[in-house]
Amino acid sequence: MPGGPVHIEAHPIVRVDAVNHYYGEGQTRNQVLYQNCIDIGPGQLVIMTGPSGSGKTTLLSLIGALRSVQEGMIQILDRSLTGLTPRELVAIRRNLGFIFQAHNLFDSLSAYENVRMAMQLGGFPAGEMRERGMHMLERLGIAHRADYKPRQLSGGQRQRVAVARALVNRPKLVLADEPTASLDKESSSSVVKLLKELTMNEGCTVLMVTHDNRILEIADRIVNMIDGNIVSDVVLRDALTVCELLKSIEPFKQLTPTEIANVADRMKKRRYGPGEIVIQQGDVGEEFFLIGAGTAAVTAQQLGEPARQIATLTTGQVFGEMALLTDQPRVASVRAIDDLETYYLGKKDFREAVALSAGFKDQIRQTYFDRYSTLQHWSA
Amino acid sequence: MTMSASFVSVRWPWGQPILASVPLARRNLLADRRRLLRALAGIAFAVLLMMVELGFRTAFIGSMLLPIQQLDGDLMLVSSAKYEFGRRTPFLRRLFYEARSVPGIASVRPLYLERRTAIWKNPQTHELFGIQVFAFNPDEPVFLLPEVADNLEALRQPDTVMVDRRARSSLGQASAGMQTELSRHRVKVIGTFRLGPSFFSDGTAIMSDRNFFKLFGVQSPNSTELPDVEIGVIKVSPGQRTLDVQHALRAALPGSVMILTKAELIDREARFHMQVSPVGPIFNVGTLVGFAVGILICYQILFSELSDQLSQYATLKAMGYYNTFVVKVVLQQAVFYAVLAYIVAWTACYLIFRVVGEIALIPLHMSVGLTVTSLVLALIMCVGAALIAVRRAIATDPAELF
Repeated sequence: MPGGPVHIEAHPIVRVDAVNHYYGEGQTRNQVLYQNCIDIGPGQLVIMTGPSGSGKTTLLSLIGALRSVQEGMIQILDRSLTGLTPRELVAIRRNLGFIFQAHNLFDSLSAYENVRMAMQLGGFPAGEMRERGMHMLERLGIAHRADYKPRQLSGGQRQRVAVARALVNRPKLVLADEPTASLDKESSSSVVKLLKELTMNEGCTVLMVTHDNRILEIADRIVNMIDGNIVSDVVLRDALTVCELLKSIEPFKQLTPTEIANVADRMKKRRYGPGEIVIQQGDVGEEFFLIGAGTAAVTAQQLGEPARQIATLTTGQVFGEMALLTDQPRVASVRAIDDLETYYLGKKDFREAVALSAGFKDQIRQTYFDRYSTLQHWSA
Repeated sequence: MTMSASFVSVRWPWGQPILASVPLARRNLLADRRRLLRALAGIAFAVLLMMVELGFRTAFIGSMLLPIQQLDGDLMLVSSAKYEFGRRTPFLRRLFYEARSVPGIASVRPLYLERRTAIWKNPQTHELFGIQVFAFNPDEPVFLLPEVADNLEALRQPDTVMVDRRARSSLGQASAGMQTELSRHRVKVIGTFRLGPSFFSDGTAIMSDRNFFKLFGVQSPNSTELPDVEIGVIKVSPGQRTLDVQHALRAALPGSVMILTKAELIDREARFHMQVSPVGPIFNVGTLVGFAVGILICYQILFSELSDQLSQYATLKAMGYYNTFVVKVVLQQAVFYAVLAYIVAWTACYLIFRVVGEIALIPLHMSVGLTVTSLVLALIMCVGAALIAVRRAIATDPAELF
């Protein structure tokens, strides 16, 4: 699938399906997004990364209803953005919070008044606004500067005012572009902490473009884009699990942590119900599996004999690698016993990972040879 | 908490809060005092330029109307060919007598004038200058000027004249008892009156019809017949409606004369100078230049202000403000500029008119008409400039902010 994996969400806040986007017209028409698909559920903090020109800001502005959708479907907060007039897009944007790289505050207005400009669109009674606005400024630690003009504030304070302005209407979806780029470590962490709190406590969804390594760790999910394609979409919780598991398994335990992380990034998640076949004996092997949770039964069948269960696999164990290494058909079947959660890796990626540690290649082959013999032994 | 004081529950009687929203336009205006002063100076200058041009135009026309306003009559009988009050276009004396026989008329009195050939010798420097001369029969006075009414007896004396003491200084200081020359005839000044010069004549002299005929000749010097009349100043009998008498006169007289009310004559004269004579259009062009300069200055100011705030306005649009809001803010700002600059310009213009009016002896006033007209022009100027400048803010694409 060209757009990368899709995490299916029951009630996504953002749903992007097969989106293409072009800049320019006629001869100069230039495609910047290719078949992008992404679903983001409520309460997720998603970080988008990728080199400049990879299309991530274009995708962000499409999701933010700042551009008209050209091809494909985008749905945010249960409303489709496809085919809306510019005026309808403006109305939809009132439900979103935007944090830009620059603070874009009016120099003529005080910090509080800048925040109030947003509140005026939120439909609050005039009497409540001061309290609401001050509360938000307080959460960002700048309430004592509420009546200062932006010129009288430090860069970090200005950006925090801009964040307060984006969040004061409690939007269900916040879109941020390098929100911490101009911030020192302390301001950056207070902003990030607030965003994280909003996702955890108030079900707010945050989609953030950033290159700031300091804040990658708070993400629930990292989407990486290159040349208009979503090349990886990693749910971080899973990625950490995968790394932990891979560390103790041949051949991966020979790899450096970075290499392991690279492998983990490429692994995608797939669930199987009880009794469902994962691989079938005799099929061509295309994938390597790691069990994240649940148990699976390995059965092998010799000609003219009934299938025999030869092993039970559980969390942290792997299967399916042999066919990839030997280019032989699957020598056994694997069936889910209960709810089985697997992370799988394509043949190409798997071979690359193995090739990475050339020095250990023989050892790896030996390992697999051993296991192959065991299987032969069982099936004999 | 100074801010909360300015926002909380100050309400109109109908319950809507005053200052419910952030006064962005006002804040933008006051954000940079120096820029505000520069802007106001520029716009006020343009408004002042328009005011002065309009004021001069009004004064110019007003000065032309001064003698007509001093005529003591309800209706005026003039030649149909007459297009300008001060230019000689007499009508046949026969028609003057015919008008007298129309019922409802209390009096028809002749007024004579000469502007082209009347030369006044400055009694102090003996230099010669053109002057405008009016003449009437002292038995049938036509002027409202009180000094003239008081000196009818003296005017009957040969070679006597009254002169305008508000005449331009080049004509010299004339006072009662002084002797000088008018068109090479020795005349005696028996008094002065207060009128004021116009753009076409530096001063005015008034004399009796007999002295006038002697100085400026009649059509046929040998004839004892009286010359043709320039203006017939008509008084309507008490109890008669001016309009009825005007209709009766029109019915009785041929088309070679017009019967106008005093107001109509004033209106006609003003229109002539405004539309036909080159002077009115010159001032109009001056006003237009002021207007154009004003639009340019105001556009430049608003445009540079908007350019500094493009990303801010784009952010407002990203947040969900419509373009109409942006337009409203910029228009408000333009109106503030217009009103503030107008106040400055009005004050400056008032002072200028006081000084220049005294020096140039022309009726320069900050009239209600001028006040209203220039305010409307200032508003159109700034709002127009705002509408051109705001296109840039409308064109900003919030998508570019990412």
